[in-house]
Amino acid sequence: MASFQVLKKAVSLAPTTRTLSSGVPYAPLLNLAVRAPHDAHGHGHGVEARSDVAPQWAGGPSKVGSSLVSKSFTTIPPTLNYQQRLMHTSRALKNANETPDFSAYRSSNTDGNRALSYFMVGSMGVISASAAKSSISEFLQTMAASADVLALAKVEVELAAIPEGKNVIIKWRGKPVFIRHRTSSEIQEARSTDWKGLRDPESDDARVKKPEWLVMLGVCTHLGCVPIGEAGDFGGWFCPCHGSHYDISGRIRKGPAPLNLEVPAYEFSEADEKLIIG
Amino acid sequence: MALSNLIYNGIFKRNSVFVATVFAGAFAFGIGFDTGVTKFYDSYNKGKQWKDIRHKYIQED
Repeated sequence: MASFQVLKKAVSLAPTTRTLSSGVPYAPLLNLAVRAPHDAHGHGHGVEARSDVAPQWAGGPSKVGSSLVSKSFTTIPPTLNYQQRLMHTSRALKNANETPDFSAYRSSNTDGNRALSYFMVGSMGVISASAAKSSISEFLQTMAASADVLALAKVEVELAAIPEGKNVIIKWRGKPVFIRHRTSSEIQEARSTDWKGLRDPESDDARVKKPEWLVMLGVCTHLGCVPIGEAGDFGGWFCPCHGSHYDISGRIRKGPAPLNLEVPAYEFSEADEKLIIG
Repeated sequence: MALSNLIYNGIFKRNSVFVATVFAGAFAFGIGFDTGVTKFYDSYNKGKQWKDIRHKYIQED
């Protein structure tokens, strides 16, 4: 009966009449040391700590002097009930019989499939390489000379129409070309010259393909005038602009020109009846 | 099966051989493609090209 009175006293708190300067309500009849009745259960376990009441060490309200203080400790000692936590809580299936069976769709001919895959890759490579090669070569062909330019680049001369000891001047790529049918005495003269001491030393052999036919560009190597044939001190050509003398092999012998008359690329064809320059 | 294995081991296994085969194949393919297209063009335009009607205008002597 006495314990019942204690409980009743604790629950029906007396009204606070004033507040202390610390802000805590002044409740003189509040019994902070009250304990829940442990004998009411009748389990017979004595005065041990109850599981439904927070233990003393975890904090809680307490009375210091005449004021009420409530503490809750943040550094609560760890519980001693350790349990290992595992990464996976689900059990691994020994037999994953939810996985569909794909064996009916699997190919038995893996070698053939592998060869076919590589063949497809290789075919793609073949076609791309071919396309790249043809793109590049077509692009490069746009830089090449066109057919009309190439047609004008060569000139044919009938050699039978040129008598011995005569000059012919033809136009080739906008420039005059001298063709001389040399006589045997002229050949003799051109060959016997001591060419090593000339300004532009060049033998007559190096300048002609056949000794009787001398083919040269008719442009003076000095400033580009056209020399006059069968003139000059050496029986060859003479440039009237500044007085350069060329001999019967077209080599510079006297005057301001630095080089011999240039020999273009030419060839004989059709049993030596035609001369093709270019 | 045996043939695909033979092809794989002969050509595809080594990358150097594979690439060389691709380039050689591209060369042959280019020539073949060119020839084929030219043949088709000539047959499609038969009688219209200069080389087909040249003999009508130029008498070789």
